[in-house]
Amino acid sequence: MDTRSPQVSIKKAAPAALWNPEEDDTLVCLDVQQETHDVKTFTFASPEGKRFAFKAGQYFLFDLDHNGEAESRCYSISSSPHRTNAFSVTVKRVPGGKISNWLHDTLVVGASVKANGPLGHFVRSETGRKLLLLSGGSGITPVMSILREIADSCEPANVVFMHGARRPQDLIFRDELACIARRLKGLRLHLLPETVAGEASWPGLSGRISAEYMRLAVPDIAERTVMCCGPAPFMAAARRIAGELGVPASNYVEESFDAAVIDEPEIPAVKEAVIKVFQVSFSKQARSIEVSGDQSVLSCAKKAGVRIPSSCANGVCGTCKSKLISGTVDMNHNGGIRQREIDAGLFLPCCSKPLSDLIIER
Amino acid sequence: MLNKLPSSISALLDARADGHSQPAGLYTREDVFEADIDVFFHKHWICVGLDCDVPEPGDATVIDIGKTSLILLRDDDGELRVLHNVCRHRGSRLLDPGKTIVSKLVCPYHTWTYELTGELSYAPHMGKDFDKDCRGLKRVTFKSIGGLIYVCLSDNPPEDIALLERTMVERLAPYDIRNAKIAHQVDVIEEGNWKLTMENNRECYHCSANHPELCVSFVDLDFGFDPETLSPEDREQAEEHFRLYQERTRAWEADGYPSAAVEQLVDCATNFRTQRLIIAGAGESQTHDATAASSKLLGRMTRKDLGDTHLWGHNSWNHFMGDHAVVAVVIPLSAGKTLVRTKWLVHEEAVEGIDYGLDKLTDVWNATTDQDADLVARSHAGTLDPAYQPGPYSRFSETNLDKFATWYIDRMRAHGY
Repeated sequence: MDTRSPQVSIKKAAPAALWNPEEDDTLVCLDVQQETHDVKTFTFASPEGKRFAFKAGQYFLFDLDHNGEAESRCYSISSSPHRTNAFSVTVKRVPGGKISNWLHDTLVVGASVKANGPLGHFVRSETGRKLLLLSGGSGITPVMSILREIADSCEPANVVFMHGARRPQDLIFRDELACIARRLKGLRLHLLPETVAGEASWPGLSGRISAEYMRLAVPDIAERTVMCCGPAPFMAAARRIAGELGVPASNYVEESFDAAVIDEPEIPAVKEAVIKVFQVSFSKQARSIEVSGDQSVLSCAKKAGVRIPSSCANGVCGTCKSKLISGTVDMNHNGGIRQREIDAGLFLPCCSKPLSDLIIER
Repeated sequence: MLNKLPSSISALLDARADGHSQPAGLYTREDVFEADIDVFFHKHWICVGLDCDVPEPGDATVIDIGKTSLILLRDDDGELRVLHNVCRHRGSRLLDPGKTIVSKLVCPYHTWTYELTGELSYAPHMGKDFDKDCRGLKRVTFKSIGGLIYVCLSDNPPEDIALLERTMVERLAPYDIRNAKIAHQVDVIEEGNWKLTMENNRECYHCSANHPELCVSFVDLDFGFDPETLSPEDREQAEEHFRLYQERTRAWEADGYPSAAVEQLVDCATNFRTQRLIIAGAGESQTHDATAASSKLLGRMTRKDLGDTHLWGHNSWNHFMGDHAVVAVVIPLSAGKTLVRTKWLVHEEAVEGIDYGLDKLTDVWNATTDQDADLVARSHAGTLDPAYQPGPYSRFSETNLDKFATWYIDRMRAHGY
């Protein structure tokens, strides 16, 4: 027995007793794991031995007393919701980061913290089993919880788990992911370090995510629900790439993992993608109009007085066929255009809604 | 049968003397040109293209013949279609000449929209009671014979295409022309009447003086010679050549490759001739050194020594060899202008620069076609000269011209001229 381990006293609660966010707020640290050189996992239990009911992808809001000042931080749960006696959060030490450093340096087994949760809506929808779980850096925590849940429940899976990190030694849960990938049918694992420094022989690709990489690694990305979490620039790139590769906004959800963000950040991000207004420019007429994501390009162009030859207005005749110089659209045609033409950059404005700013050769 | 008033062309037909070239007016007059289009391009089977002109669904190509414009396309089920390029609204042309990709056939005028089957699917502002069912694009009678597309614009297509069909389906099968790739296409407009173009192609009397490139692989003896004028040495060579023919033809046929000549040239509606010809020299292909131009052979071919299966029709000539094929279609543009469209076919997976070089593939027939264009222009200019008088065909090397002229006159008469 490790004599350094402090004793933690947890009562045996009745099996049915559940952690109640309305009443309960105290957690006791059961375990600390060093995951990588700068990432630790902290596991918490209820001192009364209550069980936790949460959904994979949710987080807890921790109220921390930092040198006499109250600080709040939210951390996604990284453990499986099937493990109900305790849950874990996984925290990366951020250079200069007040709270993450304090946690790393002072939170030890037996310590108590106050927390509120579970919270958040970055959870799997009921429909659509084909998933792309996409994370960068410590953004892996909520999608790891989702993957652990899938593995624990042995449900039929069709999951691509793609994780990017700076170097191979920064890949969190690397061994466990390999282990799950060996056992879980229907899981495809893609690990993408930005550089291969510090690893004798990295077997895969390295670099940042790009449309080319995604197209190769996840050729059916447009059919998948993408759940993305990571640093803001990573998520911005991921959102743009997913849009370019045809992932409809309705199938794209993201969780902000910026430690500074306190309040349910995922909802504005998703809503923004749905109702956003895009700039649509017509290169030959030097006109630019605004088109919201739920309107067809043609109908907005007509209202704004931009003339595009057209007839059927529902993707049958192809009269409005135009070259899309840049941007992506959600097109629902009725045979008025061929895949070969789409591949060549053409689209039908009458049955297309913008997914980004557009430049149209008209 | 009641006598009809003779047409203004009848006198010209009557004036044609057996064994002689045709009276000038048949080559030069505009009314004869109109009649030729009517008889030979609207009432007979003509070759207009290939299955592999439109390899994928949505591929379409427009071919204009006289005032008729045809759309050859492949529909969404991968079926070939030949449709008239005339909107059923007010007649506008739907597609421009040449190749394109279509998802629907949309008239640019008022956007009447047709399925690739020809069915009218959308006609804006025509009222709810408008019956679209009987307003589909008019279909054209066509046959794909071993991958060659023959159309007939008449309601009574000649039935004797059956022999051509029976013969060529079997002969072309191993070449799989249907799935070949068009590696190159050249349009040459000859300054001459279409019959001069065809007649020039029907004899090789002119070959040794005019086609040095073609003569490396082509044997002009195959199209006749006067044994009396040959030196004893040449005669011996010629006799040796015909012994070789018998031997080769027997061997090819024994291996399952029909090779003997099949002809339907006179007393018929559909004019054609086919035979597997020996390739001279290296014996493989019509290239500058008679070796194969493509290392990937056509279709299911496994050997390069199967000669040249030639096929003539009244508006086309074709050469099918182990490694590639040359297919030429002739379309009259006016009394004195004729389009010769030549296509070079290779195996669908053959890659330029790897399996074949374009120069070697096309050199011989590019040179030959240019030389022939020059010869046809000279002939046509001559027939316009008041001094022109029909001259005698060689009974050794121009017998096929006599047959062609005879067939031409017969067919004109059969259609009332």
